[in-house]
This record gives sequence, C-alpha cells and structure tokens, in this order.
Amino acid sequence: MSQASSQSPEADALLRSEIDRSLRHPVMFFFTSGAAWLAVALLLGIISSAKVHAPGFLDSCSWLTYGRVQPAHLNALIYGWGCQAAFGTLVWLMARLSRQTCRAAGLILTAGHVWNFSVTLGVIGILAGGSTGVPWMEMPVFAWVPMLLSFVVISIWSMVQFKVRPAGHVFISQWYVLAALIWFPWVFASAHLMVHGFSGSPLMAAAINAWYRSALVFLFFTPTAIAAAYYLISKVTGRPIYSYSLSLLGFWSLAIIAPWAGMQKLAGAPIPNFLPYLGAAATILIAIPAIAVGVNLLKTAAGAPETVVNSPTLRFTVAGVIGLLVTGAACVFLNVPPILRMSQFTLSGYGFDVLAIYGFFSFVAFGMIYFVVPRITRREWLSSRLIKVHFFLSVYGVVTVALVAIFGGVMQGLGQEAFAQPWEDAAMRAYPYAVATTIAWIFLLFSNVFFFLHLALMWLRLGRRSSHPTLLGHGHHANLHDSIHGPEGDIDNAGPGSAPAH
Amino acid sequence: MSFRQFAFGLTATFGFAWLAVVIVPFFMMRSVEPVAFTEAADGKEGIYHPKTTGRVTNGAEVYASNGCYNCHTQLIRPTYAGNELGRPDWAGLKMDEERGDTRRESNVFDYQGEKFAQIGLNRLGPDLSNVGRRVEAEYAKGGDAKLWLMMHLYDPRANPQRPTSTCPSHRFLFEEKEVLGQVPQDALPVESPEGTVVIPSPDANELVDYLLSLKRDDAVPASMNYGPATKPAEAKPAAPQG
Repeated sequence: MSQASSQSPEADALLRSEIDRSLRHPVMFFFTSGAAWLAVALLLGIISSAKVHAPGFLDSCSWLTYGRVQPAHLNALIYGWGCQAAFGTLVWLMARLSRQTCRAAGLILTAGHVWNFSVTLGVIGILAGGSTGVPWMEMPVFAWVPMLLSFVVISIWSMVQFKVRPAGHVFISQWYVLAALIWFPWVFASAHLMVHGFSGSPLMAAAINAWYRSALVFLFFTPTAIAAAYYLISKVTGRPIYSYSLSLLGFWSLAIIAPWAGMQKLAGAPIPNFLPYLGAAATILIAIPAIAVGVNLLKTAAGAPETVVNSPTLRFTVAGVIGLLVTGAACVFLNVPPILRMSQFTLSGYGFDVLAIYGFFSFVAFGMIYFVVPRITRREWLSSRLIKVHFFLSVYGVVTVALVAIFGGVMQGLGQEAFAQPWEDAAMRAYPYAVATTIAWIFLLFSNVFFFLHLALMWLRLGRRSSHPTLLGHGHHANLHDSIHGPEGDIDNAGPGSAPAH
Repeated sequence: MSFRQFAFGLTATFGFAWLAVVIVPFFMMRSVEPVAFTEAADGKEGIYHPKTTGRVTNGAEVYASNGCYNCHTQLIRPTYAGNELGRPDWAGLKMDEERGDTRRESNVFDYQGEKFAQIGLNRLGPDLSNVGRRVEAEYAKGGDAKLWLMMHLYDPRANPQRPTSTCPSHRFLFEEKEVLGQVPQDALPVESPEGTVVIPSPDANELVDYLLSLKRDDAVPASMNYGPATKPAEAKPAAPQG
C-alpha cells in the first residue's frame, strides 16, 4: 500500500497509472466480456426458470429444452461471467499490490480470448446436445484443457509479480489472491481428470463432482471476492483493516475448512459414509470464516458510513460482504442434518449457488469494476443514475432469487419427506417459488443490460473526462472527492502524476 | 509469516483434505469387493451379481446430454438420510405380485456400467431408481411399457392422469416420416400430417431402453441390506428369482 512506499507521491502516482495502463486491455477485456456473458447467463436463466412453471414455453426446439438451458445458464454464469470477472480482479490486484507493471498484457489478453472461445464453444456444445451430464462440468470434454492452460497463462505473471515485488508488507488481499491462484488449477484439474480422465467408480465421480462445485465456490470465488473486498474497503475509506487477528482467523479457517466441504450433496449415497457427513460439517463451519471476514470488513467500513453510501464501489462491496454473511448463515441452515435431508434435492441447492455466486461474489466484483474501470480507461462513469438502477435492481433480484429458492426448496423438501402423500403434492410445491424466481431473473437481466451498456461505453473510452469521480450522493462533489478517495483516490486524469494519455 | 511458511500452509491445509476426501477414496472405490449370499441369512449361496439389460451406456448418454438429472434423482437414501423407502413404489414395489415387498436402498452395484452416477440435483420429478419397474408394474399395467414411456417423452401432459406434469416434452427425440409402404411398427399413436407417422429416433429408443433398465430392487445379500427390520423375513422366500 502507499504507506509502505518510500517514493514521493508523484512517482507513486506515476507508477500506479503505469500499472493501470499496462493492464488496460486484458482487464477491460475480462470485465466487458464477463458482463456480456452475465447478460447471456441471465437470459438463459429466465428461459430455464420459466420452464419450471410453464413447461410448454419454447418447448419445440431441442436447443431450448430445460435440461440443456439450465446447465448452459449455470456454465455461462460460472465460467463466462464469474471466472472472467475473477481473472480481471486477480490480475489487477496482484499487479497493484506488488507494485509491478504487467509486461505480458498481450499474452494475458490472448489467453483470455482462448478462455472465452472455449467457454463459447462449450456452452454452444451444451445447447446442441453435447453435454457430458456432469453438473458444472457439462461443457463437452474438449473444453477443459484449453481452459486450464489459459488459466495458467493468465495467472503465472501474477505469481511472478508477487515473487519480484519490492520487499515489505504483504497486504491481506495478496494472501487471498495467491490462494485463489493456487487452488483454482488444483481443484479444476483434479476434478476434471478424475471425472473425465480416469475411469473409476461412477459414484466417486459423482462425489468428486459435488466436491468440485463446492470447492469452486469456496476456494476460488470466495477468496477472490474477499481479496477484492479487503482492498476496496480499506482503500476507498482510507482506513486500516479493523483487526489483523480476525484477518488471520478468516484466512486460515477458510483454508482449513473449505477443502473438506461439498460431498454432503450425496448424503445417503453408497459412498463411504464419512464423506457426506464430513462435507456437511465442513460446510456448516464455513460460517466461521464468513463471520470473521464479514465482521472485520464491516467494522472497517463502519468508520466511514457516508463514504459507503456515496461511493458506487463501496456500496456494492459492502452489499457483497453482507451477502457473504448471509451465505455463511445459509451454509449452517441448509446443512444441519434435519434440514439437509429436505434441502438435498430441491431448489435450495440452486438458491445457495446463486446466493454465493451472485449475492456475494458478483456484488464484490461489481464494486471492483466500478473502482478499476475509471482508473484504467482514465474516464469516469457516465451516470450515477445507471449505477443506482444497477444496484437496486440487483439487490431486489438476488434477494428474491436466493431467499425464495432456499425457502421454497425447504418447502419442497417437506413435501418430499411426506412419503404417505402422493408425489404430485411435493412436485406442485415448487410452482410458486419458480414463478417468483423467473420474475427476479427478469429484474436482474434488466439491471445488467444497463450495466453492460454502461461498461461498454467506458470500454470505448466514452466515459466522462473529469477528475471528479461519479458518486451516488447529493453532496458537494469536490469535497466528497477529497474525503472519499484519500491520497490515492485521484484517478490522475489531471493530477501531478498524470501520465500522457495513450 | 514468511512466504515459505505461507505456501507450505496453503499446500498442507488443502492437500491433506484433497488426499483424504478425493484421491484416496477415488482409488479405494475403484474396485469394490463382491458380496456373497450366505445360506444362513439368504437361503442361497453364491456371489451377488446385479444384472442390467438394454443399451445402458448409450441410453445414459442421452439421459446426461438432455439434462434429465436437473429434475430427477437416482438415489434411494437410507432412512437416516431421507424418506424415499417409505413411498410405495420408489425404492422397489411395496406389493410385488411375485416377490412381496422389494423395496431397498441404493447400493454401490446399482450404478455399475455407467460412467457417472446420475445422483441428480433436484426432485422436480420423481426419483428414477426404479422407473423401469414402476412403468411395467403400474403405469403401463398390462400394456406396452415401452410405448407408455415413448408417449410420456413425446408429451408428458397428454396422459389424462398427469395433467400437472412439468416434464418438458421431448418431441425433438422423434421424427416425422412419410409412409411409403407399411406403417412402421414403432409409430406412435399421435396426430401427424396426412401420410406421415411419428417414430422414435435412435436416441429415443436408447433412452427408453435405459429407463426401462432402471430396476434397482433385486434381492441383495442380507449382509448389505440395511432396510427396516421387518424386511428380511418377508424377502427371504422371494430371494431366488430366475
């Protein structure tokens, strides 16, 4: 961070703007194409959710049958939006925190295109009927090797940057970035190898797949979002992190607990019995890192409540941190044994995934995008109204999808457990919740189409040329500008350390 | 905390769990010991040999690529984990005419021959562990089980007993063919334009074959039958089936 640097403020600002400039193309590519994928994922989500309550909707075409649209929706959400938003975040954070300009932007950009191309072919493959039928790994088998290789190319430079960083303090975010960079290929490669590569017990393949879905959320999206949240909250408020011990507790408890989680999705299956129940216990314990990190971050943000309201970045990030706490609560609620038997095969599994990926990770990622994009494009966001629309529609949408699906899932589970009643009773219970989910996805699509357009305009460098950031409050902007962004907050469009544009 | 300690910590915390829940169970489960019947408990000797018939592998691929697992499970959980065993026709049949109560929980041999056990994600539709048995004994009672499933795939809501089914229609698995000579034997009794009939595609045939093969209620050795306490006594005389 800037305090650790012995350079003059001018040289410091110059270095930051050089880092931003060196990463402009890859990071903007990850964010914009991620946002476009998000819009695609939401559109597919509306179609698939509508089919749950209106099975006749768009049913004449094999490409749009529920069993293909639903996996395509989740794969687009996870690999198209989630992973790409995460890559942009990780690459930018590591460069800034290690104070290194990126010397391989072209290579990262190329790898990003390879990733994007593989995901596109993969999602088309799912819709065309080439799905492997393995949840979250449905993309045809050709896709995962290029995806893994492009991840390695994207992440290796961040590792190098960390290695050659100037000696000094390592910020908390860097722990999480490194962890995400190490865990992702490990989880991704071992799950794909075990399921697609080696032949083994079909049941263990299913169990490893359940572990993979959980590990992707808790060992990749979670650390990435936490890294971004630690950075953004302390940076924008200009305050030090509330407690170092809580940071340590939050990090190491996640590292120790999360790899055991996941197999509770197979509770009752003929696999060694400790696997699902250990998974359930570990998932319940995820509440510990969630609370440690959530409290630490909220305590840090609470010192500057006005900034949280006015800064688009902080508003999204703090909402995401609240999403993390809700996710932690849902981990406990859905996996305690009396509820696990009811939540195991219901809408609540989906609701939980949406909560973790959208309600927590994506909100922090939006915060990151609102912070980073003005710095790398050297333009300010065009409209605070668009940002507000994005924020409120997203909050309403995700609260509805996640809570309705989780609660509706448990209702559905109650129906399933009532074995003396006819099956139709249980099947009918999903109906109202599915209707609510469809409506909420429409809200989310609406909000994200505006977000994508806003971002695309920024990408075309049509943002405002100004040194005053776009804020959401009605206060006097010049004052807020100084109080909000601290010594480093100026995006250097006109400041002393400003490098020539282009 | 030095970088070396940090990297070691990350590798150790993740690696230990990874070995314990992923790698070691994967290789241990690769070959499962066969289980034998014993004269005392089962009334017969020999190794338990689960049999499946039909084009299971191809059918499972159609099942997978059309995402049936998004709404259907294939898992009968033990009573401590769920209530499927209580339903009269999910885990087997409560009153099979020849064999009595055939209900039992899923076992490790039930998924043999498949690449990936389709445990499933959600139960918007019923569990399919014994759908083959159910169609033959109940839905298409006395009739053509294969035709019943074909009709169900073609239009699930056409069946007057299932107006509320939310299963998508799989009309795309069927082909409209012009009739040039005899009407094909497998033509569905549904409306089609003059001079044509609707016949199942190879995919539909494989899928139906696979679904009819799902009869996971054969008698298992008592040593691996954890059903309710009353069960063994009832199941015993019914055990030896051709």
